[in-house]
Amino acid sequence: MSSTFNSQTHVAAPSRGRYVNSGNGPAFAPVDIGHPAYMALVQADTAFWALIRKNKLAEALSSPAFIRAFRREEKKFAREMHTLRFGLKPSAVYFNPTEKCNLNCRYCYIPAAMRRNGEHMSAMQVLRALALLKKYFRATLPSGSLPQIVFHGAEPMLNREAVFAGIERYAGDFRFGVQTNGTLLDDRAIAFLTGHGVGIGLSLDGPKPQIADRTRQSWDGHGVFAQVKEAMTKLAGYPGYNVICTVTSENMRHLTSMVEFLHAMKAPACMLNIVRCTLPPARKVRPDDASAAGYFLAALKRSNELYRRTGRKLVVANFANIVVSIVAPAARRLMCDISPCGGGRCFFALAPNGDIFPCSEFIGLDHFTGGNLFRDPMDKILESAAFKEVTGRLVENIEPCRHCAIRHFCGAPCPAEAHEVNGGMDRIGSFCEFYEEQVRYAFRIVADGREDEYLWDNWKNGTTPTFHLRGVLN
Amino acid sequence: MSKKTKAIAHRRSCKAQGTGLSHYILMDKKAKK
Repeated sequence: MSSTFNSQTHVAAPSRGRYVNSGNGPAFAPVDIGHPAYMALVQADTAFWALIRKNKLAEALSSPAFIRAFRREEKKFAREMHTLRFGLKPSAVYFNPTEKCNLNCRYCYIPAAMRRNGEHMSAMQVLRALALLKKYFRATLPSGSLPQIVFHGAEPMLNREAVFAGIERYAGDFRFGVQTNGTLLDDRAIAFLTGHGVGIGLSLDGPKPQIADRTRQSWDGHGVFAQVKEAMTKLAGYPGYNVICTVTSENMRHLTSMVEFLHAMKAPACMLNIVRCTLPPARKVRPDDASAAGYFLAALKRSNELYRRTGRKLVVANFANIVVSIVAPAARRLMCDISPCGGGRCFFALAPNGDIFPCSEFIGLDHFTGGNLFRDPMDKILESAAFKEVTGRLVENIEPCRHCAIRHFCGAPCPAEAHEVNGGMDRIGSFCEFYEEQVRYAFRIVADGREDEYLWDNWKNGTTPTFHLRGVLN
Repeated sequence: MSKKTKAIAHRRSCKAQGTGLSHYILMDKKAKK
């Protein structure tokens, strides 16, 4: 696997690289970000960008000072992107302690037969899996670095005694989270999870039952909005709680009111994730790409208005991650919008039978099993053909992404979707404008100096400024 | 180049620790009350 940055380009041709977009000069693509005053110049391979006043664009492109400023940092930026894309080790596991779910959501990426008739892991199996994972991470992560275990599903709270046993036994060895549909979070469960500092993610697709229940229902067709709202009420004030809303054709028109609802419920963070169309049933609720982008941006704008009015933020985390990918690429937390994605290299998913997949999105696609935690060494699993197929998916090999200036702010998600919907790892996923418009919006708020309003508090912690250019060029 | 030319470019760096996928939010290191 290789980086697109090739230092040999500086000796392969005699050009001194003094001019933009010719010879060995830097390739700066102008990008219309939709701002009244600024356009972006982006050097895609290094994720370098500059916002230039529209009426000064030609002068910037021929400015020796501007080119020199980039040249001074180019290799550092390239190394940073190379590390981010190819140098990380797994540090998180999406741990499915059961195949079963008490809901039958229309877009779930886990096959319905598995969710309806599947098996739980026993408490002993959960503990054994955690022991093996602890041993693996001890050998691979720096001391003092806590790997993350996210109990995921299917519905992990259906097997909560085994989950809780694991959290209690390994409290000092992992940071734990639970992603749950919220229907089984009774007072005892909430007390246990909050008392152990466990992150809690709820799933809800709308601000009222008439919308939320369209996609998230029990097996007998009953909606669960009221139960999730009750859980949210109980969790208000808990900093480690958040809500994921899956954006579909059924709810995209209501994203603004969803943001208003989540803010009113004092949720500190949410994600408005566009539906993954990996399995056929999800494609029935696939929203139109451009329409979804429009509704999403309107919701973002509303979240910002609410912050400005109340002083309380509802961080839309998937968008915040794109903003961070622009202003501090290595500080991103979510690894879907970078190529290769984090699947199989930053995290992996554990199925209840011990099978390991690059990501939860692949559970149900047997071809992508890398091995079994209880039988195979993790090193061998990570090097398996199934994992290599995912970790080898590069945006440079995908049309039209390989020409796209914003390819390292988007990442062309998602490999499972690309493989299943469009027939290969060298294909795009189901959406493009949805990401394109988010990047353009992110650049607009950067141009206005308002990125902090959209980011989580203290996002700068652990980061240092490495480049700063503002004002006059000559 | 005109003295009025305005450019904005900034970047922060850190040790990369990205770990999350879109199915779960990993925003905070610890969530203790």
